[in-house]
Amino acid sequence: MGFSAPDIALPKAEPGQFFMFGVKNCEKDPLLKRPFCYFRRRGNTLEILYRVVGKMTSIMKGLRPGDEVEVLGPLGNVYPMAQAVCKTPLVIAGGVGIASVYPLIERFKGSAILFYGGRSKKEILLRKELRAISKKLVVATDDGSMGFKGTAVDAARDFLNGRNPDDFVLYSCGPNGMLKAASALGIQGYIASEEKMACGIGVCLGCAVKTKEGYKRACKDGPVFKTGEIIFD
Amino acid sequence: MPARENNNNKRLEVKLGRLKLKNPVMTASGTAGYGAELAEFFDLSKLGAIVLKGISLTPWQGNPTPRITETRCGMINSIGLQNVGLDAFLREKLPFVRQWDVPVIANILGTSAAEYTRLASALEEAGVDGIELNVSCPNVKEGGIAFGLDLKSFASLVRAVRARVKKPVLIVKLSPGAPGIEEFSRAAEGEGADAISLINTIPAMAIDVNTRRPLIKNRIGGLSGPAIKPIAVRMVYQASKAVKIPVIGMGGITTGEDAVEFMLAGATAVAVGTATFMDPMAVLKVVQGIGAWMERHGIKKASSITGAMLT
Repeated sequence: MGFSAPDIALPKAEPGQFFMFGVKNCEKDPLLKRPFCYFRRRGNTLEILYRVVGKMTSIMKGLRPGDEVEVLGPLGNVYPMAQAVCKTPLVIAGGVGIASVYPLIERFKGSAILFYGGRSKKEILLRKELRAISKKLVVATDDGSMGFKGTAVDAARDFLNGRNPDDFVLYSCGPNGMLKAASALGIQGYIASEEKMACGIGVCLGCAVKTKEGYKRACKDGPVFKTGEIIFD
Repeated sequence: MPARENNNNKRLEVKLGRLKLKNPVMTASGTAGYGAELAEFFDLSKLGAIVLKGISLTPWQGNPTPRITETRCGMINSIGLQNVGLDAFLREKLPFVRQWDVPVIANILGTSAAEYTRLASALEEAGVDGIELNVSCPNVKEGGIAFGLDLKSFASLVRAVRARVKKPVLIVKLSPGAPGIEEFSRAAEGEGADAISLINTIPAMAIDVNTRRPLIKNRIGGLSGPAIKPIAVRMVYQASKAVKIPVIGMGGITTGEDAVEFMLAGATAVAVGTATFMDPMAVLKVVQGIGAWMERHGIKKASSITGAMLT
């Protein structure tokens, strides 16, 4: 979905950041905005990518061109990109987590290797675009209906067999199970966490992420964390 | 900011004991952090007062996640009073928020009367304008709720803190679960509180029927937002009937009209909480909304709205 703001200059969003997205409603239902990753910018339109899973996304699906929405952002920190100058960016994305790494892969201008996983073929989006912007795209599906049968992390592990992990820098976004497995690959890098948020600006402390230094806020201290920083249960 | 500025005149002014507020609207504790995040969105001096996240003597880690879930017109949270502790608060947080011309109210919580009094003394020394006793958080067993539900220990806690605190106004935040809100309100007044505030969140629960798991890791959390507003208005009404000290009303306020409703019920001031999560500018919009309502109704002084419900 794309949105624009005719009255103001659209803010410049960076890979890793997110927006709090809400619909106008007097019934206060849904009450809170929902976080969506910055996906990409096309001209004067900022785009987010979503999957219909609940009340808010069902409403979003019913929106028509010209409808007014409430958007707060960009919020949160950015994927550090300096290391990718001398190392190959190895990107692992799961499900709609692809939205978070998409602008990052674009930024790497064809140097990133992408492992992209979903439950089935149906969940794999933007294959053509992704192939065009990455050096190598490996699709993995749990049911084997497309590409590698297994998880994206499994596919990445196969690829890394016989290669030196120090030649790569990891970027990953997806469900917590995937982030945990990706962190265990032995590649240093960055992972973006997805947590339920109420405010998105750091005051509600709802989106707590357990780290080696205690709880941190996914919205303000993240969503991007260094590999090894987060403690997965 | 929209054109109307209400801060420069006195029509919105209200008083909490000795403490003068530019307008009746403050942040609700736990929804504004220690001020830094909201300061990125607006000038904090436009607030009636800023009530900061509850602090304890030592840092508290907070509860496991998920800590929040949205329910119909409301949300349940179980943050667990995660906070930096007194020392870090005094060193790092308080100096920042003091930069603005806004009364600073610290919210304190402890596991014993001795902890509350130590906190209160340290904060008085640090020069806060008000101290709010949190005896009503439902999310930690030791977070004062024990004091909030038992009249005798409640009264002795207020007495103990009052004996220590001279300069800052002393506000006691009541639990909606208190058996007899009038009795607790009168006890707070009788022991020397300058004001009472209510309501804190209401213990609540939600379950995902597909996974059959509770939507909050701690199972039970506190419900807030528009869903609880009618209960809060009723309790503010009952409490303000029972005492002469000012009542700070809160629970689901998202607009100026909501705030006026609480004031008509008897509140002298109001606090905005969950609405800040919906929109970081919500508190200011409530200030503007009260001003607009007064204009529409030809009301000259916000203080005259308090208890002005017609029957």
